[in-house]
Amino acid sequence: MSDTETQEIETPGSVPERQGEGHEPDLPQGDLAYRMAHAAPNLLPGEVRAHPDPWQYVVVAVVLAVITAVEIAVSYMEGDIPDGLIVVLLLSMMVVKFILVASWFMHLRTDQPVFKRLFIVGAIAAPVLYLVVLATLHGVLAN
Amino acid sequence: MTAIEQSSEPGELVPAGGHDAAPDPHAGHSGIPNAKLAMWLFLSSDCLFFGAFIATYLLYRDRPGQTGPTPQDVYNIPFTSVTSFILLMSSLTMVLALAAVQRGDYRRFRVWIMATALFGATFIGGQIFEFTEFTRKGLNVDTNLFGSSFFILTGIHGTHVLIGIVWLVSLWGLSMQSRLSQGDSERVEIAGLYWHFVDVVWIVIFTVIYLLPK
Repeated sequence: MSDTETQEIETPGSVPERQGEGHEPDLPQGDLAYRMAHAAPNLLPGEVRAHPDPWQYVVVAVVLAVITAVEIAVSYMEGDIPDGLIVVLLLSMMVVKFILVASWFMHLRTDQPVFKRLFIVGAIAAPVLYLVVLATLHGVLAN
Repeated sequence: MTAIEQSSEPGELVPAGGHDAAPDPHAGHSGIPNAKLAMWLFLSSDCLFFGAFIATYLLYRDRPGQTGPTPQDVYNIPFTSVTSFILLMSSLTMVLALAAVQRGDYRRFRVWIMATALFGATFIGGQIFEFTEFTRKGLNVDTNLFGSSFFILTGIHGTHVLIGIVWLVSLWGLSMQSRLSQGDSERVEIAGLYWHFVDVVWIVIFTVIYLLPK
C-alpha cells in the first residue's frame, strides 16, 4: 500500500459510505479503528496499514544482525575503552534492536495505537520499577 | 491496491480480511480484535515478569561472600552469541511465515513456520549445552546466588521458547491438515507476537546478563 493510500485511510472523511446509507448512528464512524477494521481490504484485524513487504523484513533482519555483531565487538573492548562508555553503547544498541523488532516484526508501526500504548506501559514500567527496586535493595543489602 | 475496494456489487464494501472474510466477529465495538488485545496485555505484563527476574539477577550476581564459579568463570560469549543470532533470525522466518499465510501461500508458510520452530529448537539445544557446561564447571542452581538467579532467569525464558515451539508446530500441523486458511492469519499473527516477544526479551537478557562489563 503506498503512502498516498495510507493517507487516504487516515484522513477523516476519506472512507466512502455504502451506497444508499448514511452514517450508522450507533457506531463510532469517526473512529479510525472502527473504519479500518470494517472497511479496509486485505488487512488483519487491528491493523491500520498493511504489513511491510517481505524484503523489508529481510532488510530489518540484516540491520539487527549488524547491530548484534557490533554489540559483541564492543563487549570485547572491555579494558580498552571506559566501562561507562561500553555500558552506554551496549544499552543503546539493545534499545534500538528492541524497538526494531517491536515496531517492524510485531507490527506496532502498522497496528492500532492502542497496542503500542499497552506495550509501552509494560516496557517502560518494568525498567523504571526495577531500577527503583534495585536502587533501594542494593543499599539495604549493602548495609 | 486502493484503500477501500469495491466488490462486484457496485458500492458494496469488501470486509476486513479480503473478499472471503467477514468483519472480525471477535472484534469489540471499537474494532479492536479481542484476541490480539489479550495477547498484547499478556506481553505487557510479561515485561514486568521478566523484569523481576532480571532485577533479581543484577541484585544477587555480585553479592559478596559467594563461593563457586562467577560469571567470568563460566560464560562462553562466542557460543551464546551464535545461539542469540539464531533466535534473532527466527523472528525473520516468523514474519515471513505470516506474510506467506496472508497471501495464501501455504507451502511457504509451512516452510517458514517449521524453520522458525527449528531455530527455536536449536536455541534450546544451545541452552541445554550451556547449562551442562556450567554444571560441569561446578555451577548449579543451588551453588550460589549467581547460579540460582541465572538458571531461574534463563530457564524461564527457555520455557517460554519451548511453549512457542509447541505453538508453532501446532500451527504447522493445522496447515498440514488444511485446517489453516488465509482467514486464520490472525491466529498466526498472535503466535508471532508471542514469538517476537520471546526474542526481544532475549535481546535484553543477552546484553544485560552476558555482554555488559561484570
